[in-house]
Amino acid sequence: MNLSELIHEFILALIEPGILVGSIGTVSFINIANSTFSLGLVFTCISLLYFALNADFIAAAQLLVYVGAINVLIVFAVMITDQSVSSDSEKRGIGYFTALGACSILFLTIVCIFHKINDFYSSSIHQSEYLKLNLFEKNDVQNIGYQLLNKFLVPFELASLLLLVALVGAINPARDEDEGKDIAENKKKSFVSSTSPRDKSSFF
Amino acid sequence: MNDINSFLSRLNSIINFSTILPKIILIVGLITIVITDLVNKGKNANFLYKIFLISTLVSMGILFYQLISVIAFEDLYTNNTFNNLFRFFILICSFISVLLSVDYVLCSKISLVEFPLFKISAGLGGMILSCATNLITIYVSLEFLALSSCFLSGYTKRDIRSNEASMKFLLMSGASSSSLLNDFSLLYGFSDGQVQLDNIIDKILFSQYIPIICISAAFILAGTAFKLSLFPFHQWTPDVYEGSPTPVVAFFSVTSKVAALCLFTRLFRLIFPYLSNEWHIVVELLAISSMILGNLIVVTQRSFKRMLAYSSISQIGYVMIGILAADLENGYASMITYRFIYIFMNLGTFARITPFSLRTGSDNIKDYAGLYMKDPVLTFSLVLCLLSLGGIPPLSGFFGKLYLFWHGWKAGLYLSVTVALVTSVISIFYYLKIIKLMLTKTTNLVDTLKTYENQKSLVSSIISTKLKSSVEMAMILCALASTLSGLFMDPIIKITRNTFF
Repeated sequence: MNLSELIHEFILALIEPGILVGSIGTVSFINIANSTFSLGLVFTCISLLYFALNADFIAAAQLLVYVGAINVLIVFAVMITDQSVSSDSEKRGIGYFTALGACSILFLTIVCIFHKINDFYSSSIHQSEYLKLNLFEKNDVQNIGYQLLNKFLVPFELASLLLLVALVGAINPARDEDEGKDIAENKKKSFVSSTSPRDKSSFF
Repeated sequence: MNDINSFLSRLNSIINFSTILPKIILIVGLITIVITDLVNKGKNANFLYKIFLISTLVSMGILFYQLISVIAFEDLYTNNTFNNLFRFFILICSFISVLLSVDYVLCSKISLVEFPLFKISAGLGGMILSCATNLITIYVSLEFLALSSCFLSGYTKRDIRSNEASMKFLLMSGASSSSLLNDFSLLYGFSDGQVQLDNIIDKILFSQYIPIICISAAFILAGTAFKLSLFPFHQWTPDVYEGSPTPVVAFFSVTSKVAALCLFTRLFRLIFPYLSNEWHIVVELLAISSMILGNLIVVTQRSFKRMLAYSSISQIGYVMIGILAADLENGYASMITYRFIYIFMNLGTFARITPFSLRTGSDNIKDYAGLYMKDPVLTFSLVLCLLSLGGIPPLSGFFGKLYLFWHGWKAGLYLSVTVALVTSVISIFYYLKIIKLMLTKTTNLVDTLKTYENQKSLVSSIISTKLKSSVEMAMILCALASTLSGLFMDPIIKITRNTFF
């Protein structure tokens, strides 16, 4: 193993315990604020992992979106809600053990699959193909931008529409509107006339 | 010579561009609705709905015109008859369901603007899903459809049942699309980084990776069967149907099922041709169990919408027979014709339930007793649509089912067709039960029906008469279509025959 591979392994060995500790902390902290901060640790370590895997665009996107927006939103929401510190019950019912069994079976399946794939892909034929791919990805971000506007134009524009609809749909249930009261009053006043001037449904 | 060349190239580019023109018109309609409401500050509700209807009609017209031409556009989607038919169906669904939702929205005093917005976006997502051949486009459009449907189902935010319905829908659609995404990542990995569906088949080495292909088939089944509400994935259907506002249920009971059918057929046809025996058996099993389950549980239902939910579960079972029975000379004709007829039957039934629930505020089947005396038009058209759903001879549902079962029998699916026949008889039983309840003249009316007349006059004084008749227009349209389509069966079959790929 030469020096670069050694450094690579070292960095991975630093990041992976971070992810593990963070996710265990997210699940098992009693105080919810602590668990959201450890969720932030998990997201940061995952983005560092993306850096180590030579995907710089995705790493930056992960940092911006997950840590910078989603985690901040979660921390915000947790800190606003006034909830008492809840204690878990120590009883572990049958559901706990069923879920434990299912998850461990899934985990073992994934580990077996990865071992088999590792054996398959460490043959020399595929190594040369990967080296060819590495030369291609010198300008990762440029490549992504190019593909987004050429090959994947329709999903790209559709995703922007999706964001618009998601925004409208998220505001819609949270909006405060008083028009129910006004309509009822108007109805009582002008019962006979056909079209009563309906109060506006203001967008904001 | 140069002039002719440039003219031809310009014409070519216009024709090439026009394959996405229907969608662009829908997008323009969407943006117009938002901007119009922003400018008008909430007045002119009818205008918004007219924009929606006009844009839907225009894109339907263009799509109809394009049904003639077969031109491919880029790698993202192709323009064959299969895609066009499904897109056309989705547009029909959107159009009719908006007709019957105008009344409801105005009456229940919920905010006006976002309703056509979500409907357009769901229709748009469905349309792009129908003609997507790219894994990424499939996923984004599926999410678009699911998200818009979820917002629609939670639209009446003061109703607890609506909140519950949208919560369930959101969670379960998120779980199913994550399973679908898992499968897409498997397919992407094992075909050396190909995203186009055609290229994936070329690149996957089937001999070597059979267990992985089976796993990915299972994931795709889990992901798409949710939207179709096939047997083990049908649990969301009754609760969501009961909780959401009625015109919304009408809309996504047809639209999302049509789009999901298209997705299901395309994925299974293109990616797993080598595994046809295996996935045929699994889908047959799922179809049989959905038919049995849907038709047996529906007998005990007391709410009309839940009953329609279970009946739609069983109808999907019948349609699965059509998918399994596809062969070279007939394509997917049986499935598509049945789907077409089913759209009108289902929308017709919902078009009757909506004014009834507006006028009496109840959803119980028992409250429909003696409806014949109060409102004969509604009763008669509801009778027609229910009989068509059941499959009684002169109506079009019978012809659709006949063609479906005959096709299935010819393809050798003896068990499924037998089960389908038996369960059809059971379904006729409970539809007739409702019809009998409506048509018998009871001496002591139910309380809700006593106030029927009063409520009707209250409603008509608020809403202008033009809007009130839009529901009736939808009613009559659907009644006519579900009755008379049986006569036009042959041309419909001829159009849908050309859809094998």
